[in-house]
Amino acid sequence: MRSPSEPPESGPPPDYRHAYPVFLIMGGLLVVALAVRAWLVPETFGEFGYYRGAALDEAKVRTSRYLGRQACAECHDDVAALHAKDAHGSVECETCHGPGSAHVEDAENVLPRADRQQDCLVCHRRLDARPGSFPQIDRDEHFRLVGVTNAATACVRCHSGHEPLFMNKDLRTARLHPLIHACGDCHLGRQDQTLKQPAGHPQIFQCSYCHADVSASAAKAEHHAIACTTCHLFIKENAFSGRIVRDTDPRFCLLCHGQADFRSQDGPPLITWPGHLADVSEETPDPTRACVDCHQDQIHDLFEKEVSHGL
Amino acid sequence: MMNFVFPNELRVTWTVMIVLYPYITGLVAGAFIVSSLYHVFGREELRPIARFSLASAFVFLLFAPLPLLMHLGHPERAFNIMITPHFTSAMAGFGYIYSAYLLVVVLELWFVLRSDFLARARGRGPVAWLCRSLVLFNLHESPATREADHRIVKFLAGLGIPMACTLHGYVGFLFGSLKANPWWSTPLMFVIFIFSAIVSGISVLIFHYFVVFWINRWKVNGACVRSLGRYLWGFMMVAVALELLEILSITYEQTDKTEVLNTLIRTKLFMSYVVLQFLVFSLVPFLMLAVHALFRVRERVAHALIWTSATMLLVQVLLMRWNVVVGGQLVSKSMRGFTSYFPGVWEKEGLLTAAIIFTMPFLILYVFHRIVPLFPDVDGRSKQP
Amino acid sequence: MGCDCAGMMTRREMIQRLVTGATGSLLVWTFPALAAEGEDPRDRPLYAYAVDTTRCIGCCACMRACRAENDVPDGCFRTWIERYRVRANGEVLVDVAAGDDHVFEEDPVPDTVKAFFVPKLCNHCEKSVCSQVCPVGATYETPEGVVLVDQKRCIGCGYCVQACPYGTRFIHPTKHYADKCTLCYHRISRGELPACVLACPKGVRIFGDLHDPESRLSTMLKQRRYRVLKPEMGTHPKCYYLDLDFEVV
Repeated sequence: MRSPSEPPESGPPPDYRHAYPVFLIMGGLLVVALAVRAWLVPETFGEFGYYRGAALDEAKVRTSRYLGRQACAECHDDVAALHAKDAHGSVECETCHGPGSAHVEDAENVLPRADRQQDCLVCHRRLDARPGSFPQIDRDEHFRLVGVTNAATACVRCHSGHEPLFMNKDLRTARLHPLIHACGDCHLGRQDQTLKQPAGHPQIFQCSYCHADVSASAAKAEHHAIACTTCHLFIKENAFSGRIVRDTDPRFCLLCHGQADFRSQDGPPLITWPGHLADVSEETPDPTRACVDCHQDQIHDLFEKEVSHGL
Repeated sequence: MMNFVFPNELRVTWTVMIVLYPYITGLVAGAFIVSSLYHVFGREELRPIARFSLASAFVFLLFAPLPLLMHLGHPERAFNIMITPHFTSAMAGFGYIYSAYLLVVVLELWFVLRSDFLARARGRGPVAWLCRSLVLFNLHESPATREADHRIVKFLAGLGIPMACTLHGYVGFLFGSLKANPWWSTPLMFVIFIFSAIVSGISVLIFHYFVVFWINRWKVNGACVRSLGRYLWGFMMVAVALELLEILSITYEQTDKTEVLNTLIRTKLFMSYVVLQFLVFSLVPFLMLAVHALFRVRERVAHALIWTSATMLLVQVLLMRWNVVVGGQLVSKSMRGFTSYFPGVWEKEGLLTAAIIFTMPFLILYVFHRIVPLFPDVDGRSKQP
Repeated sequence: MGCDCAGMMTRREMIQRLVTGATGSLLVWTFPALAAEGEDPRDRPLYAYAVDTTRCIGCCACMRACRAENDVPDGCFRTWIERYRVRANGEVLVDVAAGDDHVFEEDPVPDTVKAFFVPKLCNHCEKSVCSQVCPVGATYETPEGVVLVDQKRCIGCGYCVQACPYGTRFIHPTKHYADKCTLCYHRISRGELPACVLACPKGVRIFGDLHDPESRLSTMLKQRRYRVLKPEMGTHPKCYYLDLDFEVV
């Protein structure tokens, strides 16, 4: 593959001597470069793998800024004890208050400082994609419902961040309506024996707290042994709120009171439907009539007062 | 709606510097292959441009790492890539491949130019002193040494071809092997880069050759230029065909990346990729070169066609580098959205830096030319002792 | 004579040392695995991470904690939370709380049929692409399976940023090295939890040792359904997502 202009093998025998120093210099440079390279490889390189072994220790030496609740409890044991029992028990102090190391350096340096409403709403604002089981509110709606006029009112004026279930933490009586919670929402990471014995769990909410009239009336009626929630099912209305339903369809009562071949005669009084209507009345049976039209007093009295079950 | 970008991807990591880097190495590889066409494959009609192309390859090679250094967060640690090269990484080879190739090019250039150095080594003055030191103070020359130079040059030129392809093709591999990026990840990338490199290398030689000859009012060597024009036509056809093949297979395969890449081409890259790179700067030079290659045209017209197409293809390859390097980073790895990028003028990695880096090789080439003529056939100085 | 002998010895020693040193460094250079100690890897912990996507409330406490613990620069993220909202027509809207305070915009979307949050962070892959492509050995996997960056060796080329399929890496805007989640290596090596795990109020983020069959993480992975992100990348991520929807990439 010689250039066509040159006749093949026409030149004199080549004299390579002038090229030796060039290749010698290049070879020398190569050796020097490799030696310098070997000298520059960090001492601990390759100790554990293809990296500088000392980097591992360098990565470890930094001090932690988040210290954990035990560190907070060293000074604030009273608050820590209250906090651990309540619904925020699984939330670390520093999640709301910021890194503990900053507070240790400067006692004033602790969150939340000014706008506490925003600090609560970070988690509890109603938000698309927030799981429906998690308590969340629309601030304006909530304030309208509970009659708060100043939109800047801080949440902690009524709610305690450390004991959020108590509305009135001094008396420890008024409590928040429990939307359906999983046990782990309060008990996450706690080595709490009640977790394994749900029957022994203290009741955090009783219907009578808000519906005293109804409860008192029900206690005197024939159905007094039946729990409110047997008939009033808690239905999640949407992702954010629930309501108690009052089902007046006769078929609902017939679930317990309907005559059936599998049902014991020793239980609740049994009837046939709509034959029962004909039995107690001379009129033509009206299938739209509800049981409670006649039997309300056997359940409980009705009262004017309305209680909203949405927050 | 395709609108979500991972939050760390809002800033594009590889800037216009990384567009410039494969562009320059492409010029190196292309120019070197032209010189080897003469030195190894004996394309005698390319002799007038052989030395110029080797020198071009050399100066571009000198500046190829500069955009990388401008881009590195820690340029002072650049030699880590040679001290502790992690060979599982495609990038780790850069230092060694680059150094080896630079060595070959410098050696080849030295043996090509030894006679010229010797011719200028006698006498006084800085040029003579420089030439004396360049020949290592060995002023002996005979037909036997020239024959030795010739044989060494042929060997080095042959050795340099695979190395040029490695240096540049490996840049293509560096992109093509990144599985995380749907726009880059294709084995074709390696081949596309090599062919586009040859196109850009031939183009820059033609462009520069004509400019130098027109400025100096020298007579253009028609046979050489027309041969280059035919090579350019052939290589650009392969390069563009490979690029179209890539788009075709992406579109036809209808895999998960088809949708996001089609959106990329239709929106973010429509102007720079579809309109400029293909419709303007590929189609027009293709037609012009076809006219030159297939029809008998007058020499003036042929030269105009070749120069214009070479200049346009130079832009085409730059656009291709931009569309690959920047285009690939516009696609979020969320496959749901696109980010945006255009360099500022005054940034560290901006347009001004890019312009300076790209101008430097031409200046160095001019200085080079002041010492040793790049076109000995037409340059009167070469005849002087 | 004795003096000569000593000289000979030292010279021989020197040559020996040179030869063994050169061969050793050449071997280590070519086969870095040779340098690692031959101990049973199961004696060490193998740290991994799980994310219970059903529990996340999108409060972004993790992002704030990560920022405070690790001085993450503005506009860069070692961890973030994505919100997915799927509309009735199948359209998927994704956003992140990328602002300085990391609070999601309320910005309700009509006809949302399905919505959830997904926290993201470095997957600390078993076959991490980032440490594969790092040209200088600055990104590496620790013996405990944590992928870290050697900030003193990183040249800031950004190849790892391009190679990571999960977008978890960034070049530090002022310090110019590659940066990413370290699983709070300084904390976990002292037995503390990563800051994001500590700060999460809902126990979404679970950190643990895969080599410890009793760890909460190991138990979770035995009991729950999970998947990893982009398994087709062959990276074998060690960040497990419990009950994750297919929409998430």
